[in-house]
Amino acid sequence: MNLSVTQSVFPVGPANRLLVFRDMAIIAASFLVMAIFLPMYWLTDFAIFCILVLSFDLLYGYMGHLSFGHMLYFGAGGYAASLTLLHLAPNPFLAIAVGVVSGALLAAIVGFVVVRTEGAAFALVNLAFNQIGFWLVLSGLQDYTHGEDGLPSTVEAIGFLDFYDTPVAFGFMLICLILVFWLLKSLVSSPFGIMIKSIKENEDRVKFLGYNTLRYKWLTFVIAGTVAAFAGVLYALVKGFVAPGDVSPLENTRIIFSVLIGGAGNLYGAIVGAVAFELITNLLATTIARWEMILGLMLLGLVFWFRKGITGYTYELFLKMGRRAPAAD
Amino acid sequence: MSEMISTSGLTKKFKELVAVNQVNFRVAEGQVAGVIGPNGSGKTTLFNLLSGYFPPSEGQVTFQGEDVTGQPPEARVAMGMARTFQLVSVFDHLTVWENLVLSNVRFRHNGSWLTNFFFKNARKKAILEYCQESLDTVALSDQAGTVTSELSYGDKRMLEIAIALSLKPKLLLLDEPLAGLSDHEIGEVIELLQKVKSDFTLVIIEHKISKIMDLVESLSVMNEGAIICEGEPDEVLSNTDVRECYWGREDC
Repeated sequence: MNLSVTQSVFPVGPANRLLVFRDMAIIAASFLVMAIFLPMYWLTDFAIFCILVLSFDLLYGYMGHLSFGHMLYFGAGGYAASLTLLHLAPNPFLAIAVGVVSGALLAAIVGFVVVRTEGAAFALVNLAFNQIGFWLVLSGLQDYTHGEDGLPSTVEAIGFLDFYDTPVAFGFMLICLILVFWLLKSLVSSPFGIMIKSIKENEDRVKFLGYNTLRYKWLTFVIAGTVAAFAGVLYALVKGFVAPGDVSPLENTRIIFSVLIGGAGNLYGAIVGAVAFELITNLLATTIARWEMILGLMLLGLVFWFRKGITGYTYELFLKMGRRAPAAD
Repeated sequence: MSEMISTSGLTKKFKELVAVNQVNFRVAEGQVAGVIGPNGSGKTTLFNLLSGYFPPSEGQVTFQGEDVTGQPPEARVAMGMARTFQLVSVFDHLTVWENLVLSNVRFRHNGSWLTNFFFKNARKKAILEYCQESLDTVALSDQAGTVTSELSYGDKRMLEIAIALSLKPKLLLLDEPLAGLSDHEIGEVIELLQKVKSDFTLVIIEHKISKIMDLVESLSVMNEGAIICEGEPDEVLSNTDVRECYWGREDC
């Protein structure tokens, strides 16, 4: 049996693995080039935000489930890390482990409920859980979270790994971003990725292939929540504190906005969107008083005219150029 | 021959409309059965009830001797029931190959719901072979990398049948597999079904009766949600009630 044709289109082939490494190198190079022009602490924040947006893109862009409650897992990771640093040991790796596991457990529990809903209900039930989390941090668990004051998350340096040394923190976050990209790229390129894209397109049809889609939706939700929690832990480590604002449901708009700018269902889009959003907000905030209005207008423009985002239109442009080239020959 | 699927008193009501009314339908193991009837007679609703697309208002569905009335579609597929749809239903945003990977992964090895998707290289090779085999069956090998939305309607239909076949069904339900196809494409589908029909029990809904006459061994006719006649194809088609409901009184 001749498998040569099909092997080249099999999603987890050696050729695809090389492409993933190429993409990882491009991301690293782009951040290093940006470091020439932009403050390094900005880029550290950008890298963490990219991880958060990547996790959201798995849920929304690939599986087609828009959540208004993703910040819950970011905040859960951050608070779990801070509590670990405060009460157990000021060790960053312990904080990462506890934060990530906490986010995963929370997503696994909430996921049992939310994956049974679809469309607007999914978005709103997630928002409700996020709101509950926000209230717990602010008031319900005030004895542990210190309410509005937030929690310090002081971490000790391990060898050269000092999170308060800006270049070191930037390098560490960049490595984390590249690893998360590799992990998610491998996932979405595997048969599991085919499965979640199919759920987005026609969930009923997937059931007629014999799959219990609830299980796969739950697993995707847990993975997205876990990665978001990882971003939350990194944020807590770099900033040295966590505050209720890190769990605020309002912050979800930043994530959704970023995915729309970059292009949903495309990991590159998540990264481009996250960086573009952070750049726009950072630059606009320093030059225009009511910069949120500009952002609102941009959102309208994106929804009505540019739904495919930056990477979607760039891809189309490349396709058109590719088609013209043979004609010119 | 033992029974593959049967229904008793199967009824589906949509508010005031009774789409399927007290249907007792039986297909023996290994049989090729046809279901015909005018538009709106309840054929597709019957398929939806058999495959678990929605639950019945009354009645029971038995598959291989087991009551599956309350079972979801995925459970029935796992038991060996596969179906196609009246309007071709494949995943348009995936490539032809990805469509087949999705259907082959679940059924070609006995891993858990989780390990099926994170398989090792040895198993990956087996999946590759199964997908290639599916492609060869429907002569779509040269379209493996094509995004499905770019396929012709006929090729999409063949892909849908390939997906259903890759599920290794014991019972295959085909809902108007010839609808919208050219004569050439119809010939290809019929040839394929003739080739594979001995592997499973087959039930076909079809409007183009003449095209499936050589294929089916029994015929059931539905009208206004009920089965009005069933038996051998020639006998059924010569029945006065069938001719009246299908072609009108003047043609009888």
